[in-house]
Amino acid sequence: MKKNIKIFVFAAGLFSLTSCEKFLDVNDNPNGPTEQYLILSARLPGALISTINQETVQINQLAAFWAGYWGTTSEATNKFYKEKTYNGVAIRGTRDGIQIWEGTYNTLLYYQLIKEQAQKENAPFYSGIAKIMQGWHFLHLVDIYNNVPFDEALNRTLYLQPKYEDGKTVYEKSVSLITEGMAEIKGASGDQNPGKADIIFSGDKQLWAKFGNTLKLRALIRQSQANNDAYITAEMDKIKLEGSGFLGLGQHVATKPGYINSKGKMNPFWENNYRGVNAAATNHVDLRPTQYIIDKYKGLDDPRLASLYLSIGGSFKGVLFGNPNVDAQYAAKSTSAFKGPTENDGKPTGLFKSFDQALILMGSFESLFLQAEAANRGWISGSDQTFYEQGIAESFKYMEVAAASFTTYNEQATVKLSGAAPADRLKRIIEQKWLALNSISSLEAWSDYRRLGFPEIPNSLLAPAPTARPLRLMYPESERQTNAVESGKQGNDEVTVGKIWWNK
Amino acid sequence: MNKKATLIILLLTISTGLFAQVRMISGKVIDQKTGVTLPGATVIRNANKEAVSTDASGKYTIYAATGDLLSFSYTGYSTVELTLTADKNTLNAYLDGSVNQLSEVEVTGALGIKRQARELGTSATLISNESLNQGKVLNPLQGLASKVAGLRINMNDATTGKTDQLVQIRLRGSRSFNDAKNNPIYVVDGVPVPDIGRLNPNDIENITVLKGANAAALYGSEGVNGALMITTKKGQRGRGTVNYANTTTFSNVYLLPPAQTQFGQGQNGVYAPTEYESWGPAFDGSTKDLGLKLPNGVQPTALFAAPSKDNRLDMFQTGRTLQNDLSFSGGDENSTYFFSVQNVNIKGVIPGDKSSRTGARFNGSRTFGKLNTSYNVNYISANRNTTPDGPWYSTYVQPANLDLKSLKNWRDPNSAANPLNYYTDATAAKNPFFLMDNNRNTADQQTINGKIQLDYDFTPWFSAIYRIGLYSTSEESRATTNKLASPSGNRNVNGSVNDGSNDFRRINSDLILNFKKDFGKFTNRLLVGQNIRMDDSKLISVGSANLLFPDLFNPGSRAGELDGAASITKYRALGTYFEYTAGYNNYLFFTLTGRNDMVSVLSKENRAYFYPGVSTSFVFTEGIKALKDNRVLSFGKVFASYNKTGNVTLDPYSLNNAYSQINGFPFGGLVGFTPNLTSPNPNIKPEFVKSYEVGTQLGFFNDRLNFEAAYVYSDSDGQIFDAPISSSTGYNTTIVNAGRLTNKIIELTLSGDVLRKDNFRWNLGFNFTHINNKVKTIFGGQEEFRMFRQAYAVVGQSYPLLKVSDYLRDEQGRVVVDSKGNTTTVADSAPLGTMVPPYQMGLSSVIHFKGISIGAQFDARLGGWLYSEVVPRMYTAGTHPATAEYGRQPFIFPNSVVNTGTADQPVYVQNTTVMSKGDKAFWDTQGKVQRNTAAKSDFFKLRELNINYALPKALLAKQKVIREASFGLVGTNLFIVRHKSNTYGDPESLYNQTDGYLSFRQIPPTRMFGFNLNVTF
Repeated sequence: MKKNIKIFVFAAGLFSLTSCEKFLDVNDNPNGPTEQYLILSARLPGALISTINQETVQINQLAAFWAGYWGTTSEATNKFYKEKTYNGVAIRGTRDGIQIWEGTYNTLLYYQLIKEQAQKENAPFYSGIAKIMQGWHFLHLVDIYNNVPFDEALNRTLYLQPKYEDGKTVYEKSVSLITEGMAEIKGASGDQNPGKADIIFSGDKQLWAKFGNTLKLRALIRQSQANNDAYITAEMDKIKLEGSGFLGLGQHVATKPGYINSKGKMNPFWENNYRGVNAAATNHVDLRPTQYIIDKYKGLDDPRLASLYLSIGGSFKGVLFGNPNVDAQYAAKSTSAFKGPTENDGKPTGLFKSFDQALILMGSFESLFLQAEAANRGWISGSDQTFYEQGIAESFKYMEVAAASFTTYNEQATVKLSGAAPADRLKRIIEQKWLALNSISSLEAWSDYRRLGFPEIPNSLLAPAPTARPLRLMYPESERQTNAVESGKQGNDEVTVGKIWWNK
Repeated sequence: MNKKATLIILLLTISTGLFAQVRMISGKVIDQKTGVTLPGATVIRNANKEAVSTDASGKYTIYAATGDLLSFSYTGYSTVELTLTADKNTLNAYLDGSVNQLSEVEVTGALGIKRQARELGTSATLISNESLNQGKVLNPLQGLASKVAGLRINMNDATTGKTDQLVQIRLRGSRSFNDAKNNPIYVVDGVPVPDIGRLNPNDIENITVLKGANAAALYGSEGVNGALMITTKKGQRGRGTVNYANTTTFSNVYLLPPAQTQFGQGQNGVYAPTEYESWGPAFDGSTKDLGLKLPNGVQPTALFAAPSKDNRLDMFQTGRTLQNDLSFSGGDENSTYFFSVQNVNIKGVIPGDKSSRTGARFNGSRTFGKLNTSYNVNYISANRNTTPDGPWYSTYVQPANLDLKSLKNWRDPNSAANPLNYYTDATAAKNPFFLMDNNRNTADQQTINGKIQLDYDFTPWFSAIYRIGLYSTSEESRATTNKLASPSGNRNVNGSVNDGSNDFRRINSDLILNFKKDFGKFTNRLLVGQNIRMDDSKLISVGSANLLFPDLFNPGSRAGELDGAASITKYRALGTYFEYTAGYNNYLFFTLTGRNDMVSVLSKENRAYFYPGVSTSFVFTEGIKALKDNRVLSFGKVFASYNKTGNVTLDPYSLNNAYSQINGFPFGGLVGFTPNLTSPNPNIKPEFVKSYEVGTQLGFFNDRLNFEAAYVYSDSDGQIFDAPISSSTGYNTTIVNAGRLTNKIIELTLSGDVLRKDNFRWNLGFNFTHINNKVKTIFGGQEEFRMFRQAYAVVGQSYPLLKVSDYLRDEQGRVVVDSKGNTTTVADSAPLGTMVPPYQMGLSSVIHFKGISIGAQFDARLGGWLYSEVVPRMYTAGTHPATAEYGRQPFIFPNSVVNTGTADQPVYVQNTTVMSKGDKAFWDTQGKVQRNTAAKSDFFKLRELNINYALPKALLAKQKVIREASFGLVGTNLFIVRHKSNTYGDPESLYNQTDGYLSFRQIPPTRMFGFNLNVTF
């Protein structure tokens, strides 16, 4: 009997006599580091790659259709249907849509947290980079959605339904943010340099300043038709006063973090559009250049054509964007696919060089064409023709065209800037810019088309109306569901109706 | 006789005695169900209260006169009254054991302690083994469907468990916005376990459903959604018995979303041999090329005509489930044992899908003087081998003339079914049979669940229980995709493997001290206890998405980097609780409970919380003299309770934001961390649910007719949930401590014997539940929150509310078309209604006649809405019937209007001239109008039907081996009536814990029929 009691008490005592506090202190996350473990240099590369991936894959893909670069083979008639039909409702969907809004604000948050931490730690180089990159994203948000939250955005849960601000205001605030960022980088001391953690410029202050100025120039050029001349002049003066100038020859905004030939670790532009680890990417099978861009290169006897695309029986054949018919002449095997090393004796081509090629956020050629336009408009000193020719030469270089062929090319009456009537010079600059940005910075090309209306890209054959062109994206479903009042106040956001503020 | 003028449809044996002469009557008292005679049963002649007992063979003799009422009773059986007619000298009485006398029902209360139902101030429903197993279910939860008022069962997410369906259970609706956190606690023989889905339902003696926080107050947070108290079988003293049962069932898919059969593959009305979408010309019966030439030069062709049968059904096969059960039980004066083994073997409805489960249980007990020991061990080994969601997902977007049967021989390199030759290279429409064979998910899960319990009676007024339980699962999983090399990215398949290991261990310990002391008519009981909980889990996955060789699935044979992850989770909780019950004269009871919880998942400041509860019950048929021994109202009880329950639904490690490496990081030495996109909240506190309940339980005519009613009001405030927020905050969701949800619930249960005559008994049961829930407030003064896709929480509305995008309409609701006949999709989503049916009804019918029993369970749910994701895809692919309704020709959108005014001042007039194009672009847009793919989820179905025949005793009497034998037929979902707007699927299926949401990944529901055999030795 006594023994039985002992058994009971012993058993019951086993687990009842634990220290309460220790017993419950098991809530430190063993699976992932929290903020306090992470130094800034472990966070900045994550944010920068997030930016570059989104820009070069998701945004670039949508814009490549709308900038007249890409179409699909007849086998893929049913693919990219929402892009071909300008179906804003489908694009804004959370389920099968294109989540540019969500991805961009998430990336903006990464920079916001870096910025806050950098301010705490007195690390101005980091906060400077974060500000410039935030400026980049806000400008693009406006280019795609017009009015967007700025001041009330990124405040954790302080503002659950951030107020939208006018696209123009956000543009101005973004430019100021970039200016601030540039100043912070400039003021950083040597021991505050992020070094390798800056996977774009490896801590080169001068290049960051040039990038900041070029980005501001891009923002100002964008407003060329928006009757905002006083503002433009004032901002141009600031750029001149700052004095670092713009990105020039060989100065790409690009990254090469150390891609390896493993799924998800390759250059994502390569992996998405050319080759996976074993086979051609789905996009490489389905996507083709439009007949329009082929005709453009052809018309100019452009050596880039052969570097970019495969010839079919000696000639180049594109597709019609939005062709609703399954047309045998536009089948995959009858049209020119994008050319890569596999089809070029292992040598790099116009767009595809290797799985670990640098990923381009902004090419030097874009900067040069921006300067050409600025010079053409008299905003900066210098000759538009010089910048224009440098831009073409840089594009040739990037697209693996022999430097020697530039002179012949440039001497053609259809190319030479001085050969154009003064009124047509801008048109020619934009045309060459369009040819240089091909598939690389397609959003810029689409924005130029919206701003200036050239080159005269044919409309999608599936456009809801012959004159209906994509002008913007609708606010995403997630935003309509979580911030309905604010997103509802912004007027008609239909893809072919609502205009971005600078699009007059 | 006048006393029988009642609700009951038919009277018992009726006769008017002409001769009041006393004579000797004899007969037997027999178990209605098994036909076994009952020794020691009581027979009373009501006229003079003379009582006799039946002998060892169940026989009795008694003197009675014609017209006398004889009542037959036996412990645990319902009493039967029979009137003696003039023509009879033998009278057999059939007693039913499944109906309990209301005044004597014993339920399993919180902590596994047996309680008299009469003293409960809360609702509890007892489900017997027989009722649970009526449909021969594999998962005990499925056996509860529609049998308990206030309890709702849904089939959850058929994507992960095609052979082993997950079940969602809700008691009295939802209290939390966090859908996954509305599960009740499962308690097996006193030990809380995380899952009972694989428990052998045949091992279950009964389940007591403690319906709400009130009944499960002692379980605290975990009991906030009610409790399922599962009591497994125990051996009986006496001769050992051996039971063998076999059930074989067959299942078939049904309720496929309809498809059009007029148009075949192509685009823009033109045939295209390599196109899978059905936007081609109308079927014309010709033979057309299908795809490209095969390697051997043959051009495959197909008949361009839709067959009369639905080709899509060829993707499926008849599923088959085999259940074999064997159990032994027995015992002596000091010990009992129960041992069972079960093997379940399932062949799924998708070819190649299979799973099996083998479980063994040993329950034993032994008494050593004042120490009672009992122990259970349950071991379950479950294997699964299924294909992921590709095949069906691919099938319903392909043309109606595609002959699926011909696609099975895909391994032949010269076959048109071979993935390298398949007619389309679209990744969304691959050969479903190739997908089935090429993509496999396997899992082997071992579960060990056991307990040791010690009960010690220190003194007559003080006893103690110590109970320790272990629940441990270990799952080894592997997902493989076989390599298929093709230079085209659309046909190439990278070989991949993902090996996973998922271990979970729970240790639960309870120490309970019981004090009991009676003072005259007053009884007092105090229970004090402590609960310790330790949950540990570890997840490991290792894999590669680029294997080098076909058929060799090892990450070692790979190119590129190894993929892998590991995570560890720990949860600790410590609870102390008490329950004090006072009783007066066994008819008035009062109970007070309190519990203090401490949990590891909250910050130190917030992790301890206390909450109380109170309840009372009054058996008025005993407490009020005037109602005593009433012939009509034989039992009556009213009860009421209030309690407040603290609840923490937060997962471990949610107080801080953890960073991780994504986007390919690390690249060698370069690291890049990004934060989680859920905004953390270190100050999360427990949420509190206040719950009020009043109810009554009435038994009429000696409990032949039972009625129960309960009204419940619950109010959950300060809810912890992961709220979606505008991405412009940077985060996509945030964990909040906000939001208030109330539930008003009415539950009614009526059951009674409609007919009870000699050996015939027909029992009907009906239950009704009305749930009226309202969102009172949500986070930060907001009016609404999106919970999951189209499911919202909106202030002032039921939760979850279905909101969908709709057409721009005029004030009369007519659709506005523009000058090109196109519709406009209004951005603001229109609220349609609740996604949880507010009205639920269950109807059961059980007929016993001699050895035959027929059980049927009907189920209806009304008033809810559902949304289907399948339909938009079928619109896009041109396989939905709506896309063919106007022959793909321009047509006038029915009941549409055009705007003849301006955009600002519209004037809408009936559209009689503007034609809509009716092409792919038009219908694709229509498919994206979510209102088109929403429907009312009302349904009525025959959930279970069971016809059983027990061999008569007489037949078995000739031998000594078999004691009982029966065989039967069983079927589930034999018919269903749905609301006419619902052509999408079974409204009961749900996706991602969201009621009323059908995903395009789910396969169609199945109906099942089969037979079973049961032998007792």
